[in-house]
Amino acid sequence: MRHDASSPATSRGAYLVAWLLASVLLAFILLPLLDLAVNQTRAGLARVAGSMDALDAVRLSVEGAGLATLAAALFGVPLAYGLARNEFRAKGLVSALVDIPLAVPHTVAGIALLFVFGRQGIVGAPASALGIQFWGTLAGIVVAMLFVSVPYTVNAARIGFEAVDPRLERVARTLGLGPWAVLARVTLPLAWRGIMTGLTLTFARAIGEFGAVVILVYYPMTAPVKIYELFIRYGLDEATALSLVLLAVSLALFILLRYFAYGRRRNLGAGR
Amino acid sequence: MNATRAMAMAAILLLAGAALAPPAHAEETKLTIFAAGTLAVPFRTIDRAFEAKNANVAVQPQFGGSVKMAKQITELHMPADILAVADYNVIPKYLFGANGKPRLADWYVGFARNAITFVYTPKSKFASEIDAKNWYKILARRGVEIGRSDPDTDPSGYQTVQMLALAAKYYHAPGLASSVLANAPLKNMRDTETSLIAALQLGQIDYLAIYRSDALQHRLKFLDLPSEINLSDPTHAAFYKTGIAHTKNGALEGKPIVYALTIPSVAPHPALAAKYIAYLLGPEGRKVLAADGFGTFEPAYAVGTKVPAAIHGLTAPWPSS
Amino acid sequence: MSAPILALEKVSLSLGAFALKGIDLALASGEILTLMGPNGAGKSVLLETVAGFHALAAGSIAIGGADMARVPPERRHVGFIFQNFGLFPHMSVAENVAIGLARRGRAGGIASEVGELLERFGLAALADRDPADLSPGEKQRTALARCLATRPALFLLDEPFSAIDARTSDALRAELKAFLIESRIPALFVTHDIRDVAALGDRAAVMRAGALVQIGVPDALFRRPASRFVAEFLGVENLLAARTLGRAGAGHWFEVAGRALHVAEAEDDPGPAPLLSVRAGDVRILSPSDVSHARPGLNRLSGIVARLAPDGPLTRVTLDCGFDLVAYALSRSIGELGLDPGAAATVEIDARDVHVIAESRI
Repeated sequence: MRHDASSPATSRGAYLVAWLLASVLLAFILLPLLDLAVNQTRAGLARVAGSMDALDAVRLSVEGAGLATLAAALFGVPLAYGLARNEFRAKGLVSALVDIPLAVPHTVAGIALLFVFGRQGIVGAPASALGIQFWGTLAGIVVAMLFVSVPYTVNAARIGFEAVDPRLERVARTLGLGPWAVLARVTLPLAWRGIMTGLTLTFARAIGEFGAVVILVYYPMTAPVKIYELFIRYGLDEATALSLVLLAVSLALFILLRYFAYGRRRNLGAGR
Repeated sequence: MNATRAMAMAAILLLAGAALAPPAHAEETKLTIFAAGTLAVPFRTIDRAFEAKNANVAVQPQFGGSVKMAKQITELHMPADILAVADYNVIPKYLFGANGKPRLADWYVGFARNAITFVYTPKSKFASEIDAKNWYKILARRGVEIGRSDPDTDPSGYQTVQMLALAAKYYHAPGLASSVLANAPLKNMRDTETSLIAALQLGQIDYLAIYRSDALQHRLKFLDLPSEINLSDPTHAAFYKTGIAHTKNGALEGKPIVYALTIPSVAPHPALAAKYIAYLLGPEGRKVLAADGFGTFEPAYAVGTKVPAAIHGLTAPWPSS
Repeated sequence: MSAPILALEKVSLSLGAFALKGIDLALASGEILTLMGPNGAGKSVLLETVAGFHALAAGSIAIGGADMARVPPERRHVGFIFQNFGLFPHMSVAENVAIGLARRGRAGGIASEVGELLERFGLAALADRDPADLSPGEKQRTALARCLATRPALFLLDEPFSAIDARTSDALRAELKAFLIESRIPALFVTHDIRDVAALGDRAAVMRAGALVQIGVPDALFRRPASRFVAEFLGVENLLAARTLGRAGAGHWFEVAGRALHVAEAEDDPGPAPLLSVRAGDVRILSPSDVSHARPGLNRLSGIVARLAPDGPLTRVTLDCGFDLVAYALSRSIGELGLDPGAAATVEIDARDVHVIAESRI
């Protein structure tokens, strides 16, 4: 922040207050996690890191969250574009609908999904005739994760698209680019950061989901379910050990995603 | 007002508001109870009745898997006045100081009985055919989906396995347990059985291994299995012992399903807790439990010598088997 | 005249708050048409429609003689330039210029064609620059080079200078005009700025509420506005409510607040109460020492100086001749013309410089 020469006391005061509040928030996030790490015994960590079961659970969580994020990209990004570019009567309703999964308690979401994707559900029944099941399978994990995390993609991608001047898209058309080429060469590159932010949030939310997933899928166990099981069977030490492994893996993936969003792009216009 | 002042004022107001917010009902005593999920319905009724009889007392129960509730006390150090579990073994196993862990309780009282059974709905496969005699053949049929809880973490999980082992002996059908369990694979398992009730009602599973009390509370059809196998009667304890469940925690012998409770040494309000337990063990408490499908003991069975005076009179020593 | 490059016939459509109502327009090769109008008149909508972004409810658009009814924007060969030139912020100058070339599928030849365009527009040194770092002039040249790469038949410009300061936009306007003349590509230029009309336009048009209310050479619009709206919009200073007295040879006599005015226009029936439009620049203030008599064809009016409003080298003089009449005088001549507030003054208006807006068209 630059200091306003005309009124040094005001802006420096504001700067300090802002810094104070920001530090409180960062501490709020970091302290519980640091506490977890500091109280962790090496033995517990070694036992978990060496356990195939525990590592399988982490792998399953990453796989499920990855697939859920891909699904969010495939279905959520076009919806975001539609909401950004069109005006229609039901727009407010659709936007609210997109946000609903954020407000639904996780267990309720799980039961609602079971209703639709279960053995006798309106999607589950025909799907199982085609050999696709959601109960106790990776597909079920992905469905539960997607439901609770897709709003983040839609909302962030929508903001990304809204920041792209539609006149730029029109100019691109007059230069000879068809609608798909305009999307690929003008719209998406300019909205890229918003979209990637949304996808990162979706991935983060998906990988940590417990309540909705556990209604549909207990075995095979995702990491949050395994952590819970370790707590019941052994105790705090083993549960926190796996939590730390999950956190470390998640952190590494977030950093990767951020690099992918911001790192290689040379010229991104607004916000460069 | 410039920006700095505005922000500083907002921050101060926020912190002050949080600090000075008047505590709700300062004079009320809160009684914290950790209890097994299947006790939710009767306990809530008893809580309200107890509050009505005792002014300025707020009973705050929490329900969940028995082992989870015990570990909330032993691992997470959460304060509780009463711990009530679905398997009386949970209390000595986790709170009596085994394996060098701290000793957090000295006694427990068995206060209710239950039975393991299977519940189903009219849409369940072969629902019109099944009865207390042919159940094990029907449950073994192909295409029948059976749900149960995880034997590694939940009492009803290993109790189900023990019951099936006993049934194999009772009906002289050696392959009974494995053929029924073949229809209850890992994908149909959950951490506690109550999570599967929604799955049963939605038709994802046809039969669910659960307690008789849950069957009555949720108004689900259930099988009236013989008391020799359904772990409901302490007089069959010797036979129950021969039903073994092999879990990740070792081989567990069948025991009668007796709900037990104790007052942990870390209880904030032990005297009030004893008063509550006295009420629970008394005629009104027993009436509520019976109405919700539990069997009761009169008197209740106590283990340990340090049972509080208020309760002692209502109990008798646990019969040795 | 050779076939028009752009031909709009009765173009009509409705788009929420905006509409186009029966627009007829034609642009010949090399012609620049400036399009003016208040906000909401539909100017941008018209450009977008010509470019192919809105479906017509009625009428037709032809570019280069071909009907554009089912032709999407990417195949219409129009160059579109909007405010601040619309360069793609995530691409370099060279990439911007090249973007229209790929589709013509000559991968090897693109680099050389881009190079030629950059050279021609003096952008070679800026090839790898970020558009945000360019001056307005450089942006304009990049935008033009980019358009030219696709060999457009027509340019559509939507207020490209509106966010640029006056001095810079003067320079840009000159460059743009030179470019358009040299390339012989016709252009439709939407503007708010009257300076664009005078400097650029071979013809000008005024739009209001979706319709074209007047189109013609700029002079015709200023000297002979078709309606009160056009006159006011173009800033004609004197609009006088008149009463028709009668014909007089090739023209008419009118009465304005008790004064008689002779107008030489052979207009169709002005009606009993038309509007007379006189540009302040056509009102000549006579020096007090001028004692000549009024010659035929010249209207003389006397009045009192009501207000003086100096504006740099010119002073706007408002006279009370029984009605308000605005004229301009050189600020340095105010003294020698004896133009003090309250002083008497005489003005002369050529009968050919008064335009009649018939009552039916007010």
